[in-house]
Amino acid sequence: MTIYSLILATLTFGAMFSVLTLSLNLQYARGGMINFGTVAYFAAGAYAYAIFTQEPPSGLDQYLFGFDMPWYVGFLAAGVASLLFALLTGWPTLRLRGEYLALTTFAFAEVFHSVLLNERRIGNGSVGLSNVERPDPTTLGIDDTLGYAFAAMALMLVTAFVFNRLLKSPFGRAIDAVHDDEMAAQAVGKDDARIRLQVFIISAIPIGFAGALYAMITTLVAPSMFTAQVTFFVWIALVLAGEKTIIGAILGAMALVLFQEVVKGFPFETVRAAQLASSGEEIVTGILFILVLRLRPWEKLAKRGSA
Amino acid sequence: MSDIILSVENVIMDFGGFRAVGGDHGLSFNVKRGGLLGLIGPNGAGKSTTFNLISGVLKPTKGRVAMDSVELSTLKAAEIAGHGLGRTFQTPRAFPSLSVIDNVMVGADHPEEGPIAALLGRWRAADAVLREKAEHALERVGLADRMNNPVANLSGGELRMLEIARQLNRNPRLLLLDEPTAGVDPSLQLKLAEILAQLHAEGTTLIVVEHNLAFLLDLADSIVVLQNGALLAEGDPDSIRRDPAVISAYLGADHET
Repeated sequence: MTIYSLILATLTFGAMFSVLTLSLNLQYARGGMINFGTVAYFAAGAYAYAIFTQEPPSGLDQYLFGFDMPWYVGFLAAGVASLLFALLTGWPTLRLRGEYLALTTFAFAEVFHSVLLNERRIGNGSVGLSNVERPDPTTLGIDDTLGYAFAAMALMLVTAFVFNRLLKSPFGRAIDAVHDDEMAAQAVGKDDARIRLQVFIISAIPIGFAGALYAMITTLVAPSMFTAQVTFFVWIALVLAGEKTIIGAILGAMALVLFQEVVKGFPFETVRAAQLASSGEEIVTGILFILVLRLRPWEKLAKRGSA
Repeated sequence: MSDIILSVENVIMDFGGFRAVGGDHGLSFNVKRGGLLGLIGPNGAGKSTTFNLISGVLKPTKGRVAMDSVELSTLKAAEIAGHGLGRTFQTPRAFPSLSVIDNVMVGADHPEEGPIAALLGRWRAADAVLREKAEHALERVGLADRMNNPVANLSGGELRMLEIARQLNRNPRLLLLDEPTAGVDPSLQLKLAEILAQLHAEGTTLIVVEHNLAFLLDLADSIVVLQNGALLAEGDPDSIRRDPAVISAYLGADHET
């Protein structure tokens, strides 16, 4: 693996996962909601994209729907699917707080994963949908990998820009008020239930878009790609560089993806060494996570900065 | 328009087996439009619970609360606030993520508060108007020079004034103040008395829970005394001062004001 392809892969997947950490940043750091079912919204987007763009079923296909639409229709459908899924899961659960919400969203994601796995009429069950349609960047004269790196970064930047714009407005003020003190916010007429649901739904939309992008990049959607591991990956990425800021959400995802790509791309001599490195990678990530939680370096840095 | 703005009718509030408000027959009293009603009573008499029942934080077990003939007992706290009711809390509640001025501005009913307005940037004009109003409210409570500070820098008394500024910014028709002078130094108390008198003169109806009777009896035009969640006495400040039941239950035998 060359440095160039390492950087490109990091930017592509780092930016794509940044979209997820940015959404979690909005949901958690600003909205006070712990969503441990992130992967489900990501999967909803990816599957919606695949279903809308693929051809109708033929031969051994077990799926029922394939609409053969252009990629941009699929992309929009991904955002809508994630939004609808957030509405469906958020409306009954957002009255829950803290770890109760975390558990419920986690359960929703597991159920969704199980449905994708067992209901073959959605996406061929465990086999998934392969050869997912994708726009071809080379028609614009851009190299394929580079094109998707640009696309991922564009999606990340647009998401960061939109969230920033939301948070800097009176809507952001109301979100902070509801997060800080629900009762006092209600006393000045803020409908906390409505605001929480709005935050939950708005932050789910980019996750759906990221899911569509993931399907385009890998040209495959299968239940094995959307396990709870994705959720934990983005949560760790979010906490690593400080969950409170937009830049922290982006840097955390980039750093964690870079670390993974380095391990993946390292030219190991033997299979055994590669296996060791890959399990070592998870251990190191875990230790880093614990250290960040234990030492809280970003909070200390922020305190020093403001003092 | 009737001259009663708020009526509490046979309200009972039970927590488990404990009756916090209502006594044997339920608590009933009326609040006159434009009046300043003092709500007093010993600790645990149910004053703050009564506030919570009026403002929708709690739903009464029995009975009803109506403001201008709209039944409040079925509405959510935010809806009741939208109906023109403001309140402060016994322990001041600020929003620590927001600056002092934002703490006041968030109190206003912003016409462009939704996410769409935020995305389109449509909120700026309305926000500028509200900012001026919030600055004025902060001036009234003497916090104008702290406008851009984080609320963590405010003292307990200043937090109380901040809460009042947030409510001033809302122009409620009925304002409930829970122990506004607690932890507030004498000079600020004077300012507070001035603000309350001004609000009263402007026609805002006020209900004030207060243990500082010298402060309250000067301002109020009627008093409701609670004991063990039930109505002990009701009347103008002078008759309450002389009421033997009130003296023995709350004021103390050697009471002089």
